[in-house]
Amino acid sequence: MNFDDETLMAYADGELDGTARAAVEAAMAADAALAERVARHHELRRRLQAAFEPVLTEPVPQRLLAGARGAGSAGNVIALKARAAPHWSWPQWGAIAASLVIGVLSGALLLRRGEGGPIVAVNGQMLAGGVLASALSNQLASAQPSDAVVQIGVSFRTRDGAYCRTFVLQDGQALAGLACHERGSWQLQVLAQSEPGRGGAYRPAGSSLPPAVARTLDTLIAGEPLDAAAEAAARTRNWSRGQ
Amino acid sequence: MPAPDLRPELIALLPRLRRFARALCGNAHDADDLVQTTVERALKHAGQLRPDSQLAGWTFGIVRNAWIDEQRARGRRTRLFAPAESGEHVADATHGSQAELLAVQEALQRLPEEQRLAVALVLIEGLSYKEAAHIMEVPVGTLTSRLARGREALQELLT
Repeated sequence: MNFDDETLMAYADGELDGTARAAVEAAMAADAALAERVARHHELRRRLQAAFEPVLTEPVPQRLLAGARGAGSAGNVIALKARAAPHWSWPQWGAIAASLVIGVLSGALLLRRGEGGPIVAVNGQMLAGGVLASALSNQLASAQPSDAVVQIGVSFRTRDGAYCRTFVLQDGQALAGLACHERGSWQLQVLAQSEPGRGGAYRPAGSSLPPAVARTLDTLIAGEPLDAAAEAAARTRNWSRGQ
Repeated sequence: MPAPDLRPELIALLPRLRRFARALCGNAHDADDLVQTTVERALKHAGQLRPDSQLAGWTFGIVRNAWIDEQRARGRRTRLFAPAESGEHVADATHGSQAELLAVQEALQRLPEEQRLAVALVLIEGLSYKEAAHIMEVPVGTLTSRLARGREALQELLT
C-alpha cells in the first residue's frame, strides 16, 4: 500500500487515529523504504528539539521576569518626550534623572554635563553630545566601521520634515535610541538599554533595536527610511529640513 | 469582571516562550525582545483570555502576531542595515554539539515565515496540528501542507 508523505508525517507526529495508524504500521513492517521515510521524520523532530532544548534551561533574563511580574518595561526605557518638559531647569532634570534614569544608564553617563559626554541635558532637553552628536551628524549607515562606538541604524523623515536617526551607543553598556535633528542639535526621543554585542562584536544597529525604540520609530516615521543616497544627501545639507 | 492574574503562569511559561521565540528569530536578543513584547501584551489583554483557553496557546498566538508585526516593520527598515554579519547565532557551547545545533538553527531560519511557524509549533513545541492551526489562524489542512513543505526543505538543508 502506498502512503503519501503527509500521511507518513501525520503518523510520525502522532496525529493519525487508530485505524489509519495500524495501516501505516502494517505497511512499514512490510516495506523497509516506507519505514525509513518515517524514521527520517522522527529524526528531524529529534534534531530540532535537541537544537532548541538548551533554551529551556538558560536563565531567564531579569527584564523578562520583571515584565511578567507586571513591572513593565519602565525600568529600562525612558520616554524622553514625556519626561522632559521644555522649561525644566537642570536641578529638576537632575532629580528626575536620579530617580528614573540611574541604574539604567549607569548614572555617570547622563550626569556628565556639558562638553564631552555623549548625552547632555540642556534646558530640560536631552541632546546628543560628543561622539554621539558627531556620529549622528557625520556617520553614514551605509559606510560605517563595524567597531565604531556609535552604530547608526535607520535614518528617516518625520511628517513635519525633520530628520531622525536610530543609533546604538556602546558606553560601558549598549544604549539604543532615536534622535531627531531640531534647531541645530540632535534631540533624543527615546533611549533604552540594549544588550551589548557578544564576544566584543558589535551588532548591526538596526537589528538590535529594543521594542521601545522600534515603536518610537514606527510612530515618527513618514513613508520609508532613507536609502543610502538620500542619507548622504541629507548629511550634505546638514540634516536641515530644506524647503 | 477583573482579569485573571496571569502572572504566576506567565512566569512559568517564560522558558517555553523564549524557546518558541528563538526558533522564530534565530538569535537570543531579538527573541527576548519578542518575549518582552509578548508579556506586555499578554498582561495588557489578560481580560481577553477566555476561561476555557490554554494560556500557553493564547500566549503563543501573541508571540506569533508580535513576530509578524515585527517582520513587517523590519521589512521597511532592513534596506538600510549595514550588511549584517550573519554571525548572529548565539549558542551555548556547553550543550551538545555546537555545530549540529547551529546547523539546525540556521536551516530553520531559511524557511519562509509560515513554514517556520508550523515547524516551531509542532516539531519544537510539540503542539497538535489542531492547536498549531488555531494559533496560526489557518485550517488544519493549511497547517499540514506548510509543515510538510517546511520539513521537506529542512531535510534538504540538513542532509
